[in-house]
Amino acid sequence: MRILVIEDEPRLLHNLAKSLREEGYAVDTAATGDDGLYKAENYDYDALVLDIMLPGLNGWEVLERLRKTKPTPVLILTARDATKDRVKGLDDGADDYLVKPFDLAELLARLRALIRRAAGQQRSILELGDIVLDTRSQTVTRAGEPLTLTAREYSILEYLALHRGELVTRTVLYEHLFDESDDSLSNLVDVHISNIRKKLGRDLITTRRGQGYCIET
Amino acid sequence: MFTKSIRWRLQLWLAFLLVSVLAGFGVTVYQLQRLHQLNLIDEELDRRVAALTAALHPPPPQGWGHFDGRHGPRGTNDDFGKGGEWGRGPGDHHGPGGGPNDGPGRGPGPTNDSGPWSDWPPDWAKPPGMPFSGPGQDPFPRPPRDFPPSTELLALMDHTPTNLLYNVIWYNSGNLLRSSTNTPAGLLWPKELARSAQARHRTRGPYREVVHFTEMGACVVVGCSLEPFWKSMGRFVGLLSLAGGGVLLAGLAGAWWLLGRGLRPIAQISAAAGRISAGNLAERIDAAETENEFGRLAAVLNSTFARLEAAFAQQSNFVADASHELRTPLAVLISDAQTTLARERSAAEYRETVESCLQTAQQMRRLADSLLELARLDSGEERIKHEVFDLAQVVHECVGLVKPLAAARGLKIHDELAPLRCVGDPQRIGQVVTNLLSNAIHFNREGGEIRVTAKADKQEVHLTVADTGEGIPAEALPHLFERFYRVDKSRSRASGGTGLGLAISKAIMDAHGGALRVASEPGVGSSFTVQLPLNE
Repeated sequence: MRILVIEDEPRLLHNLAKSLREEGYAVDTAATGDDGLYKAENYDYDALVLDIMLPGLNGWEVLERLRKTKPTPVLILTARDATKDRVKGLDDGADDYLVKPFDLAELLARLRALIRRAAGQQRSILELGDIVLDTRSQTVTRAGEPLTLTAREYSILEYLALHRGELVTRTVLYEHLFDESDDSLSNLVDVHISNIRKKLGRDLITTRRGQGYCIET
Repeated sequence: MFTKSIRWRLQLWLAFLLVSVLAGFGVTVYQLQRLHQLNLIDEELDRRVAALTAALHPPPPQGWGHFDGRHGPRGTNDDFGKGGEWGRGPGDHHGPGGGPNDGPGRGPGPTNDSGPWSDWPPDWAKPPGMPFSGPGQDPFPRPPRDFPPSTELLALMDHTPTNLLYNVIWYNSGNLLRSSTNTPAGLLWPKELARSAQARHRTRGPYREVVHFTEMGACVVVGCSLEPFWKSMGRFVGLLSLAGGGVLLAGLAGAWWLLGRGLRPIAQISAAAGRISAGNLAERIDAAETENEFGRLAAVLNSTFARLEAAFAQQSNFVADASHELRTPLAVLISDAQTTLARERSAAEYRETVESCLQTAQQMRRLADSLLELARLDSGEERIKHEVFDLAQVVHECVGLVKPLAAARGLKIHDELAPLRCVGDPQRIGQVVTNLLSNAIHFNREGGEIRVTAKADKQEVHLTVADTGEGIPAEALPHLFERFYRVDKSRSRASGGTGLGLAISKAIMDAHGGALRVASEPGVGSSFTVQLPLNE
């Protein structure tokens, strides 16, 4: 999952990016509205964390312009706590609204929920036959037996599971699993997929040659 | 509830007024009509009296052959005074000497007492103030004693075509001469009225009557029933009440409409004012008709609302800004701690987090201090001292404080000032100067310079701090002294400023009765001028 954080307070931006990466997300950051809008318009992020009081374009303007082109889930993270601001934010197209100061755990849960809902899933537990993914703890079990996956492997599996039945191209996987700071080789995805197959069995993920991967329903 | 509404109250007062006026008017009209009708009746009665009086005369004595010719056309009351009919030769009645009577109708008197005049009673009531002065000088003719009515009179008395009038005639003896058949019972000889020859109108029970004593004391009473009169008056009252009620209703309806129309702006104003609340100050009264009094009231209220809205907006912006400025470092603090505690960290990472927390906490302390200071300055609690001090000395100390900062950025500060005697709070003025100097350092270009100059006239001291930075955009200048206003948000946030420095400086100068002004030329630099009055 790839997330864009637009926040002008450098320390907060640093902490958010650090926490999100530790949660297995690919994280891009922007310190101004203009930079943030540019990135948000040019990549398919799974979620956006947006501050309102920003230098350059403010958060409202970023949201308004982004909504003309992208349905990316947006979580507004701001110190503005007035009801009319919350209402405005949600009405203007934001999917969630969190007031600073916030608890990191809550922010992470809300982001998980946003991503889940955007993929059409209601629950935080994904079941693929006897394989069960718990997106809260990021653990995978097979028939109750815990399996050990690396963070990358888990991310790929979770993305494919969330978009079950859809064809996921390698490019899409790249876009959603690696952020701008990653310096990855293109065949890395294939390596991770083959590792997942080794741990979960060959049949779970099918390869459509020249197109991408898919978890059949 | 009604008594609290102006409309209802005015309406009630108006109704009261209208009813009073209409009642007064109605009573007046009624009285006039009544008098007029009575007058008409009286005139008719008088005419009959005149006719009867004219017809009432004793039968002509013998030898008065020409008498009939004398009283020719019978007629009006005027004839009474002339004593036309009966006044022939009263002197002759008493003797041949005759009286002073030499009226036009005088004729040769009878020569004996056998005529009708001989029965004149001794109790003949004379008109008042006319005593008998002697037989020869009696100015009044002696009327005849009871005499049979003439056929003319009888015809006249019985001539009551509408049966409305009745007539009664008494001889002066009180004996009834004749009464018409329709005379109501109970009509007696009105002896007590026999004092004047004038006709007397009276209302006796349901009858209107005229009582007339002829010169010779015969009493003629003509009357009629007032029943038709009262009926017609009743109808008149009915019509009058109907018309009055109509006028009253129309007046009240018109007044209700007018009051509603006149008071509508008040309703509009109160409705608009009612919609205005702390959350909705944008509401305005529709002051389209600014010509009238309500329009002016609406305009005044609107301008008040506009000022209120501006004040509220300022206040609300300040609260929102303050909340943002306080929440952001708190968010940093919490996220620092939570991020670090989420995993096992190295000692270096913990150290970095603690340092960051400390830095953030100190920023919050500065912010809290600044906010408290502003609040004290706003409330006027902050005591501003009035001491005599040397401004050059204060500036020198402030420059000493910031010199290391300036040196770090390669800036040169020129502060050669001649001693300048000022009155005020040297610590506060020093705070302002330090703030201006540190701004001049922060927003200067590398290797630039800062120039502090001062000049004094009789009223004020002007101290100017000029830098050689990029300057301030013209559109930012009006907001520069607003709380939390930042020309470039990212830059000043990174520098750890609270966004309150200039606002505090301005508040301090305001408390001194002075001012803080700014001039800036983009690309050349900005200069801030402290104006401190000397007259204190």
